[in-house]
Parts: sequence; C-alpha cells; structure tokens
Amino acid sequence: MSIITTTDKSFQLLKGESLLDGLERTGHEVEYQCRSGYCGVCRLTLLAGKVSYDEAPLAYLGQSEILPCCCTVIEPIRIECRAGRQGELPVDTDQYTLDI
Amino acid sequence: MSYSIFPKIDNNQLKEPMFFGQPVNVARYDQQKYPIFEKLIEKQLSFFWRPEEVDISQDRIDYQRLPEHEKHIFISNLKYQTLLDSIQGRSPNVAFLPLVSLPELETWIETWAFSETIHSRSYTHIIRNIVNDPSLIFDDIVRNENIRARASDISSFYDDLIHDTMLYSQLGPGEHVINGKTYNVDLYQLKKKLYLCLMSVNILEAIRFYVSFACSFAFAERKLMEGNAKIIRLIARDEALHLTSTQHMLNIMRSGQDDPEFAKVAQELNQECHDMFAQAAQQEKQWAEYLFRDGSMIGLNKDILSQYVEYITNIRMAAVGLKPAFEGAKHNPIPWINTWLASDTVQVAPQEVELSSYLVGQIDSEVSADDLSGFEL
Repeated sequence: MSIITTTDKSFQLLKGESLLDGLERTGHEVEYQCRSGYCGVCRLTLLAGKVSYDEAPLAYLGQSEILPCCCTVIEPIRIECRAGRQGELPVDTDQYTLDI
Repeated sequence: MSYSIFPKIDNNQLKEPMFFGQPVNVARYDQQKYPIFEKLIEKQLSFFWRPEEVDISQDRIDYQRLPEHEKHIFISNLKYQTLLDSIQGRSPNVAFLPLVSLPELETWIETWAFSETIHSRSYTHIIRNIVNDPSLIFDDIVRNENIRARASDISSFYDDLIHDTMLYSQLGPGEHVINGKTYNVDLYQLKKKLYLCLMSVNILEAIRFYVSFACSFAFAERKLMEGNAKIIRLIARDEALHLTSTQHMLNIMRSGQDDPEFAKVAQELNQECHDMFAQAAQQEKQWAEYLFRDGSMIGLNKDILSQYVEYITNIRMAAVGLKPAFEGAKHNPIPWINTWLASDTVQVAPQEVELSSYLVGQIDSEVSADDLSGFEL
C-alpha cells in the first residue's frame, strides 16, 4: 500500500478505504459533502505523486488538485492537509481490513 | 448579429464559444465541446425528486410547539429560500439562454433552472403544511425590509446583464438613442457583465443558501422539523451540482481557452469578484443577526453561524481562483452539518422520512457457507 504524507503526518490506507476515509480516520481536517466527486468540497492540493480516477469526477479540478473522495492512490503521494484538533478515530474493523 | 431562435447559418458548433457566438440552432448532443455539461445534465436528471414524496406531517406538530423566536428563525429562512429560488428558477433562462452558443450548455442551463422550480414548489409544500394561511408568509417576502434588501443584492447583477443583452441582441453593438436616451452597447462591457453575473450566481449557490441550510439541520439535530430537513437535503444535493456548474463556467472562461477575451475580463474583475464574495459573506452575517434577534437556538447562534459563513466563503473562493477573504477562518465550527449535507445517505422513500438514521441499527443477516469456513468442529 502506498504511503500518504500530509502536512502533519504520514500513514497508509487500509484496503478498500478511500483517501478521504483515510484522512478522516487519521484525524485530518477535511471537508466533504457528496463523497462522490460532484461537489468538489473535499478538493486538496497534491504536492507529489499521482492519483487516478475510475471515472472522471464532475467537480472542477485545477492542476495539481485532487478529490480524495473518489481518487485512487497509485503511488506514494504528498498532499497539503492538516491534522485537526481531535485525535485519530478507531479503525472500523467491520468495514476495512488491515493490509499486512 | 441580431438574435434568432434558430439561425439557419451552417456553423460548426464545436468551434463556437460558450457565450456570444452564434445562437444555438440544432439541439444535438452527439458531439460536445464541453462534455462536462452533458454529464451534469445526466446527474441532475438522476437526482429528480418531488416534494410530495416527503412526508412532513410531523413537522406541523413540531412547529406548533416551537418557541416564538424559533418560529421566527424557521419562517424567515423559508422566506429567504423562497426568494432565492424564485430568482434562480427563472433568471438563468432569461439571462443566459439568449447568449449561449453551445447546445449542451443551453440544455444544462434549462435543466438547472427547472430543478430550482422544484425547490420553489417544495417551499409551498412546507409552508402549506405548517400554517393555515400561506399568504401571510409569501406576501411578506416583498414587504419585509430584511428580505427586500437581500433581493436587490442578488437580482441587480441579473437585471444589469438582461437589460444590456436585450439592447445587444436587438440592435447590436454601438451607440443607440431610444426615447431620447443614449445607450452605449459594447460587447466587451457585456462580457464583463456576464462574468459578474455568473460570479454572483456562484456566490448565491455557494454561500447564501448555507445559512438557511445550517438552521434547518440544527432543528433536525434536535429531532425537530425532520421532514423539512429531508427536503433541504435534497435541495442541498442539487445546489452542490449547480455550484459545480458555475465553477466550471467561470474557470473555463478565466483560463481563456474558450474565448481569450474572457481571460482579460477575469483578470480585470479579480478584485471586484473578491469584494463581491466578502460583501455577500457580510450580508449573510447580517442575516444571521436578524434571524437570532429574539434569541438563539440550541447548537447555533449568530457567532457560530458567522464563523461558518467565513469558513465556507474561503473554500468557495479558492474554487474559482480567488484568494481567501477571511484569513482567520480555517476551521469548520459546525462539522456536524456535513453529515446532513452528505448526499450518499439521502433517502426519498416516504416511509423512511421520520428517522433518516434508522438504517444504522440494521444487521446484515445474510449468511453464506463461506462465512462459516473459518470454524472447525
């Protein structure tokens, strides 16, 4: 699994987890609304690395912007995103499995 | 070129700009200059809903029990939203259709405005349910000073554009004397008016709706007026899509890829657009003050709402390439609103209206042979 480096920490995505889910789990402050690529509220700046999309999202994306709700991380990436005041959330083991 | 509803000039639609080219003749979608608008149409159509699908009978009982200052908050927001959608259900068609030159964009604008008319009809649905005489509420929209102030803030950009477009499409550019008054119609100035108008619509759908949304959801957090909140969720889902569309239009325009002159327009108007956002945020904060003049509601007051307005204003500004107006607003003071705005959990079945969270307690009861493979006897 690819390593995600944010402004404040780095972590790995769990199997089946979207980047947005992963950022929320690790206590990052990230906005969301539709969670399916059309509202664009979760838009983040990609500093290094690449992501892909199964289907081009409807929301407008500038150069080096990504939508964590619907992108697929294909290599280690670095993004601009801060950890929030609340800590990490417990892993919902019903939903995801740790990729070990 | 004077306007025609079906210009018979054989043109290549793929080479027309979004606006101010030859008016659309054949409505064809087999080829598109900007496929994004076709995708937005499809998404909007897939969102189709009708207010009557949502059962709001419990809201009538809830409303009767609200304290007076909360009734004021609830009703004032409905008036404001009715105003916003009265404008939006009509003006994209009136203002933009005479200027548009691409079939997919033309149809998107019509689909967009149509969905706003559903919102308008849903306010009648809500208001008819909670009060005996809806006229008291509707009549006040044009009489109440606070609402009237909002109306002129929003409609002025549309009126400005529509006025000059009428002169342009009938008489073309140049100096015209009508009834003794001289009008100077200039295409570049008209482009500026269109850009400002689109920015103002973007602001309307990006910020102005959200104060009312926050109040509706704050009621529903307390299990009050849940039918209303259900309708507002559907409206918020549509508005998110409309917002995406104006962001696309503005960004395509300011990139200059469509019409190089619009890159210049955008650059010249950069500060004005920035100020428009800041001013709209200010007006919404004033609105919050009016809402809470007789008292706050649990979980929401003027200060929290003002912080939220500043926070989302920054996000929306970034999406159209503007620098944030409020440096200090970096955190969402009401993160619970996102759960309500999240549309993947929107349900429309009438029997599910009372408790939208009732699926939380459900257990997946399906068991297959594979599930037991880990057991050994």
